[in-house]
Amino acid sequence: MLSQTLFSSVSATEAGGFPIGNILFTAIIFLVLMWLIKHFAWKPLSEMMTQRADKISNDITSAEKSRKDAEELAKKREDALSKSHEDANTIISDAKTSAQKQGEQIVSEARNDAQSVKASAQKDIEQERKDALANTKDDVANLSVEIASKIIQKELKSDDQKALIDSYIEGLGKQNAR
Amino acid sequence: MDEPISTFKLFGLTFDVGNMVSLVVVAAIVFFFVFALSRKLQMIPTKKQNILEMIVEYTNGLSTNSLSAKNAKPYGLYAFVLFVFLFISNQLGLFLEIAYNGVTYVKSPTSNPIVTMTLAVMALGLAHFAGVSKLGFKGYFKSTYLKPFKFWLPLNIFEEFANFLTLGLRLFGNIFAGELLLGMVNNLAFSHGVVLVIPSFILGMAWVAFSIFIGTIQSLVFVILTFVYISQKIQPEE
Repeated sequence: MLSQTLFSSVSATEAGGFPIGNILFTAIIFLVLMWLIKHFAWKPLSEMMTQRADKISNDITSAEKSRKDAEELAKKREDALSKSHEDANTIISDAKTSAQKQGEQIVSEARNDAQSVKASAQKDIEQERKDALANTKDDVANLSVEIASKIIQKELKSDDQKALIDSYIEGLGKQNAR
Repeated sequence: MDEPISTFKLFGLTFDVGNMVSLVVVAAIVFFFVFALSRKLQMIPTKKQNILEMIVEYTNGLSTNSLSAKNAKPYGLYAFVLFVFLFISNQLGLFLEIAYNGVTYVKSPTSNPIVTMTLAVMALGLAHFAGVSKLGFKGYFKSTYLKPFKFWLPLNIFEEFANFLTLGLRLFGNIFAGELLLGMVNNLAFSHGVVLVIPSFILGMAWVAFSIFIGTIQSLVFVILTFVYISQKIQPEE
């Protein structure tokens, strides 16, 4: 070893014995390295990673919450919509029934009116017929009495004659009715 | 192992300068890599922040594979730093090897057994500490050394040492062998003139690619085993 002979002042080579100090040196340099990395890289990095994990979990939670909110809102809308449908249906059916009722009422009133009009008309007709009949009876009776008194020139008691003719006319009426 | 190293003595302890330089270089690379990626952190991550978060999520996944999420939380930083540190350490020697006067100053620090053993001691120390703080000293002692039977004690103690040795030596062996073979391929390239340069170059490329794979796997295995040990210590076996 040429270099060794040239530089023997620094190198103790094998004669130096077991380098037991390197145990200490290795341990110290490893611990120092660990401390430096902890201080400059590990702590900020793990803090950042924790923050990120927190943020992600928060985001997931809030997303879940807003999804639930949206669902609830949609459900409310749906309910309101179906309720308004129902309302509209009830309003329509109410209107229908009341219109029907009103119509029926109008019809029945009209029918009653017509009935009463008819009845009063019939009554009037009957009355008129009766009046006419009575007038005719009187006229016929008087006429007959005059004719009879003129024909027979016989003094007849007006009342007796009238009774007689009345009975005739009654008999006539019965024949007509048959 | 028989390469020349430069050392100095301080407080009666011997220090290996080459190894120290490698460790400082790795620590600096790791720190500036992480530092650069962690600037301007945002809620919605940018590209570089995504890279960092991907690594963090990955190492968190490694720890939560053996521990419950609640138990694993305090070890997230340790898992992250350990993984990145080992990853850079394992790869450094493949790309950068600076030698001065025959002494290699910059190479993979994990190709040195002292470094890997120190990291293994730290990992197991953390595991035992976690066990004591979780179960109390009595419960820890019972679940670690007196299971399944009381007279299993010697075997359990032996197992702890075996854990320590395998954890440290596995990493060291893999990385050291990788660098050794790469050095041999290098020597081979110029041993017979220009004839072997091109085949050696191809061989060296293949070996570097394989070593990158090995280094990645080994840093992964180290972290996973650390958490397996921690989980063994804090969960009393029924």
